[in-house]
Amino acid sequence: MAGDWAVTAEGLVKRFGERRVVDGVDLAVPAGAIYGVLGPNGAGKTTTLRMLLGIIEPDEGERTLLGRAQPQDASDHVGYLPEERGLYPAMKAREAIAFMGALRGLDWRLGRTRASEMLEAAGLGHAADEKIRKLSKGMAQLVQLLGSVVHQPDVLVLDEPFSGLDPVNQERLERLIVAERDRGATILFSTHIMSHAQRLCDRLAVIAGGKRRFEGTVEDARALLPQQVHYVPNHPGADIAATLPDDATRDGEGWRFTLPPDGIERTLKQLIDAGHGISGLSIERPALHEAFVHIVGAQAVETAR
Amino acid sequence: MTRFQRQLRQTLTIARRDFIATVFTPIFLLFLFAPLIMSSFGAIGGLGAANAADGSSDKQRMVLVMPLDEARLVRAADEQLRATFPRDARPPAIVVVADPVDPRGQLQRRDFDVSAVMQGPLDRPAIFYAAGNRRDARYLAAVADVALRRHATGEARLSTPVIERVSVSTPSQGGQKTAAFFAVFGIFFLTLFLSGQVVGTMAEERNNKVIEVLAAAVPLESVFLGKLLGMFGVAVLFVAFWGTIITQVGQFLPADLASQAAQLVPAVGLGWFALLFVAYFTTAYLLLGAVFLGVGAQASTMREIQMLSLPITVVQVGMFALSSAAASRPGTWIATLAELFPLSSPFAMAGHAANRPELWPHAAALAWQLMWVSIFITVGARLFRRGVLQSASSKPAWKRLFARG
Repeated sequence: MAGDWAVTAEGLVKRFGERRVVDGVDLAVPAGAIYGVLGPNGAGKTTTLRMLLGIIEPDEGERTLLGRAQPQDASDHVGYLPEERGLYPAMKAREAIAFMGALRGLDWRLGRTRASEMLEAAGLGHAADEKIRKLSKGMAQLVQLLGSVVHQPDVLVLDEPFSGLDPVNQERLERLIVAERDRGATILFSTHIMSHAQRLCDRLAVIAGGKRRFEGTVEDARALLPQQVHYVPNHPGADIAATLPDDATRDGEGWRFTLPPDGIERTLKQLIDAGHGISGLSIERPALHEAFVHIVGAQAVETAR
Repeated sequence: MTRFQRQLRQTLTIARRDFIATVFTPIFLLFLFAPLIMSSFGAIGGLGAANAADGSSDKQRMVLVMPLDEARLVRAADEQLRATFPRDARPPAIVVVADPVDPRGQLQRRDFDVSAVMQGPLDRPAIFYAAGNRRDARYLAAVADVALRRHATGEARLSTPVIERVSVSTPSQGGQKTAAFFAVFGIFFLTLFLSGQVVGTMAEERNNKVIEVLAAAVPLESVFLGKLLGMFGVAVLFVAFWGTIITQVGQFLPADLASQAAQLVPAVGLGWFALLFVAYFTTAYLLLGAVFLGVGAQASTMREIQMLSLPITVVQVGMFALSSAAASRPGTWIATLAELFPLSSPFAMAGHAANRPELWPHAAALAWQLMWVSIFITVGARLFRRGVLQSASSKPAWKRLFARG
């Protein structure tokens, strides 16, 4: 491994036709971290991941995977769940997992043993000898996920892993990602669902329009936006706008405004002095969702939709 | 583990998957016994056609319109000459009409078909034949000539031959050429049957989206080679199965047929020839398979794959025609061309083994052919990466070079 980085990318560029789908993306994924690549649909997340894995070659820039300039030299130590799930329909679940392990250097017999254990643990023990075509979509997706970790990879790359899963399986997947991180693996996953990223990511990058717009921790992202004050006066109907900061807007029976740089005390004093009182008051930190919208721009999110 | 070892392991993993996925299906039994089904239909059709042909030839006659004593001379001469023909190529039987009749009218008889009519005297016979039976007319002329000669010598044979069968140890030119043709045809027949299957094998990965998983784990060249080897394993199983059966059946061949087969002595000797046949079947399969796999991988639907079957057959027949020409003209420019052109090289070199005793050209040819297998696989994988996985740049490197300038 190159230093403490499991994955690095420097100035990655990929063009499809005349369009620069990925436009100079830099990434540095610390070893042992859960790293999220966030972005609206069509931002270039999947293309970036495919370049990092060596499925496609970048037009410009360099990348390393576990210290190797040629990603496939590290393929035995990498697990991958692609965005478009794919398994051989005629294969049995246990064989499919063992096969994916064998591609990454795991002995077939050991692969079958681990596959049985993993299927049992995932509540799919009964389906071990079922052909993939007979499994439900969610079950097949779980089988593929197990196949991507059966060889206990050092780096696990998951492209939109939560899409298509029901809430129970989403939670199961979150637990699996954390367990893999606890085992020592580095997890790199793409998503456009912020709640998962906020709960899981140690660090994240936001990509939009093929460019990296942000890199840092979840807290760093949330800190990009000031905290919000939610204030409810004693008499909700009273006109108190003149006493509040300029950006104050109505929010139900109360008001919402940005926490002033010098704190809330001065504003509160003015409100109390004016006789409006305090029925409710909270200071809220913005969620990752707001930070994401702030970073990529509301328009980009709408366009992507 | 070195990169080569890892890629070899990955290649064999894919080969194993494809082999198992193909062999352990009910459809494979249909494939395995296809020749039996095909030959059964062929036998039934052939039997019917033979019966029809035999029936018509049984009804065909040659008619002699002449006095009985002259006809007797002709019959004796016919008996002598008829024995020189193979059983299935003998002229029709002779019928004698002693009464004076119109010989042309005999050709219109309804009780049997008449191919030719000869009317005496023997020193100046008039021979009439129906269209398409000129050979029978010429035969009757020869019979008349022999009959007259025998009559002139008092029907005594002027020559009393002693005929002895001798085993020949040196291979005959004809036997070598026949062996060459059989080698070319044998490899063509097997590859025609087997290598075309490779064309659709990437479709499964594309349709099931498994290709993304494979491409992330394994270099595409290994994926292609693995699939090729997997299908080659299926072909070997097929050949081994039918080879065993044919070998066992061969033991029961009539001695006459077996001795004819023994005449097919290739120039390099039987042992080397068998070995080279296997080697050239392998390279022929891999070469054609690599091309078909590369082309088939570009097809995205079953319809497109089916459309490819015609050009594939045309390519194979073309290679067979070129190699057959080479086998029958060893040492000519066409033979050299066929031996050098990658896709026809295995066929032509199998023929070369039957015609020429040197072994070193085969080592060079096998290396040459394997080099082309790797070239075809590399090109196929690159085309797949560029076209299907969309790894292509917006412009080719040379265009970008000019654009920068």
